[in-house]
Amino acid sequence: MRLKVGAATSVGRVRPINEDAYLVQEDRALFVVCDGMGGAAAGEVASLLAIETIGAFVRNGALGKGTHRGFQPRTAGLGRAVEEANRAIINKAQSDSAHAGMGTTVVATWIGDGLASIAHVGDSRLYMRNASGFEALTKDHSLVEAQVQAGLIDREQSLKSEHQNILLRALGREPDLEVELGEATIAVGDRLLLCTDGLTRTVSDEALAAALDRFIGNPQAACDHLIATANENGGPDNVTAVVVEVQGSRLSSFFRRS
Amino acid sequence: MPKLILKFDDRDLSECAVGTHPITIGRLPDNDLVIDNPAVSGRHARVYREGNHYVLEDLKSTNGTFVNDKPIARHTLLEGDVILVGKHTVVFTQHGGEQTEAPKEEQFVPEIGGTKVLDTRKQKHLLETLDRGRPSQMYDAVVPKTAIPTTHGRIGTIKVVSGNTGQSEYVLSAVTTMIGKADTAQIRLKGWFKPKVAAAIARKGEGFTITPMSSKLLVNGEKVTGRRALASGDLIEVSGVTLEFTLS
Repeated sequence: MRLKVGAATSVGRVRPINEDAYLVQEDRALFVVCDGMGGAAAGEVASLLAIETIGAFVRNGALGKGTHRGFQPRTAGLGRAVEEANRAIINKAQSDSAHAGMGTTVVATWIGDGLASIAHVGDSRLYMRNASGFEALTKDHSLVEAQVQAGLIDREQSLKSEHQNILLRALGREPDLEVELGEATIAVGDRLLLCTDGLTRTVSDEALAAALDRFIGNPQAACDHLIATANENGGPDNVTAVVVEVQGSRLSSFFRRS
Repeated sequence: MPKLILKFDDRDLSECAVGTHPITIGRLPDNDLVIDNPAVSGRHARVYREGNHYVLEDLKSTNGTFVNDKPIARHTLLEGDVILVGKHTVVFTQHGGEQTEAPKEEQFVPEIGGTKVLDTRKQKHLLETLDRGRPSQMYDAVVPKTAIPTTHGRIGTIKVVSGNTGQSEYVLSAVTTMIGKADTAQIRLKGWFKPKVAAAIARKGEGFTITPMSSKLLVNGEKVTGRRALASGDLIEVSGVTLEFTLS
């Protein structure tokens, strides 16, 4: 199993600075996307600090022993890495008033042994595209998602809601943050899309899936196309996309051909 | 002398007497009432005397100040008023020993089918005060915590019918149970040519699904290519072992 990865980010056409950040560590199969917030309070500092902390934590052996609430050690380790990032952001915000109030979302996946470990906080998402469809593997920690889950509004209404920007969880808010964990088995041909709300609010699910299919074999082209589409649709926000394509190993594709 | 009682989760954290001098509330340590939480602005609000009354004033804080669930810019305090600053509550009382019961967070967060949501009244206030078109807002006075799903009372087990895996029976307690030679595999295959991960069993709500990873997978003799739901009594054949799944 080999992973082919593409990544792209853009400030968009309205915002003065890009507060999104992404991390691609192909050798460790670790992929992270963050959407920083806090305006003057340095959202870009929070998102950068988050990816650096998560990357360092995984490099230094986050893969502890034992499971956590039934999750594999790798998944539990990724969750601890995100918790570490949360603490780092809170500490920085408290030690420097210029950074007070900063925060960030995070969506991260760490792949190994055919399993994608997933951790997320906020409204950045992870999607899976494969033969059986196009599916979000994360549920936003947002007011509108809570309303949808409670049956107060339907999915259609949530997409038009003017309150889409209210998050219920974010890194940098409280020390005892609950990081949501998940696991998904992956197979050759699967494509994972990690992205910020700058993409999901400007490009429909159908168009996201179509782009992933159109640029199969070239995840960088898929990312570039998605970012360009978001900007053609107004580019109201920073936008980031990371696409991970699961390919067969060279050996197995050789055997399949023969 | 009237006082302000800082509370969190129904616990009293500190008190501050209100006299003739104004009292400031905020995150920075030089406030009279310090609330050490990132949701609280450096200088969040102040309380000062005006004639026979005490007045609470929001100092244009990021997340706003609420009194008895209503957002305020300026508010004349009455006995028992509950001030919400970030996730902390501050109760105003003019009587020494007596305390007014602060509403618990849960009152704003009715449970519907196990998932906690904001009630509509709270949402309305929240939206009125917080949604001023700023980039992305965070509201953390109410944080629904959805628990990681457990087995929902149903237990999946795997019995080894034939083949060597080290154990004769496994309880599927993990979210994902791997079958293979990898260290992370719970159902451990032994032997030279066994794959690292042959198949994975995933817990989905009330049930379980199985997905082939790098080996041929048969369930009840039928070849499985994608994800397949498991039913009690299913016979799984993968990489030289035969397993029986039971859901109880």
